[in-house]
Amino acid sequence: MIQVQEQDFHVQELYQNLLEANVTGAVAMFVGLVRHFSDLPVEACHFELEHYPGMTEHNLKSIVNEAKERWPLLDVTVIHRVGRLSINDQIVFVGVSAAHRAEAFAACDFIMDYLKSRAAFWKKETQGEKGQWVSAVDKDELSLKRWS
Amino acid sequence: MSQINVVFFASLREKLAMAEYQLEVELPLSVVDLKKTLASEIEAGHHLLDKGVHSSVDFEFTRDNDMIPTSAREVAFFPAVTGG
Repeated sequence: MIQVQEQDFHVQELYQNLLEANVTGAVAMFVGLVRHFSDLPVEACHFELEHYPGMTEHNLKSIVNEAKERWPLLDVTVIHRVGRLSINDQIVFVGVSAAHRAEAFAACDFIMDYLKSRAAFWKKETQGEKGQWVSAVDKDELSLKRWS
Repeated sequence: MSQINVVFFASLREKLAMAEYQLEVELPLSVVDLKKTLASEIEAGHHLLDKGVHSSVDFEFTRDNDMIPTSAREVAFFPAVTGG
């Protein structure tokens, strides 16, 4: 399942959906959260997450398909939130189920790496009255080289 | 001539004060040539020529020297992505 949505998600529910009786041997999951990025109080800060409807979903599908070609996976779930998010909110969920842990760990790591640099999302941080678009960092792009 | 829809996102959309623009161009055309055309047509369009402006054609990431095919419907310009 791949979903871009405003509403929050429930990890336990997503975990249960990844399980296949008698077949699943491993589930690796990642949850990204909004860190407190300012000296101002938590209530004065928030994120806006923008996406490109159509392209973002297309990007995520391509990334998941690539992961499925690289490793024998049973199921993959990617949920990414958009819109206004507060500090400590959940942003992203990646869950991978497989027969064994090695491919589940690797695929989860791979999907997050590519999601950071190859999916059409943009973050804007607001501190008090001041909003600022988040810049991409070199280490995210460099991290992709691990998979080539 | 082909009619294409051009969309802008995030900080670039704010700099251009515009989310969408339609224009008629002769395709195929390189991405960088489309940037130059838009830069001369749109107010504040010079921002399209800044370093770090990324692009896509019909949802596929592209580079400056890639050609926009005659079948193209939508081209997007945006800063480097920052999801996750």
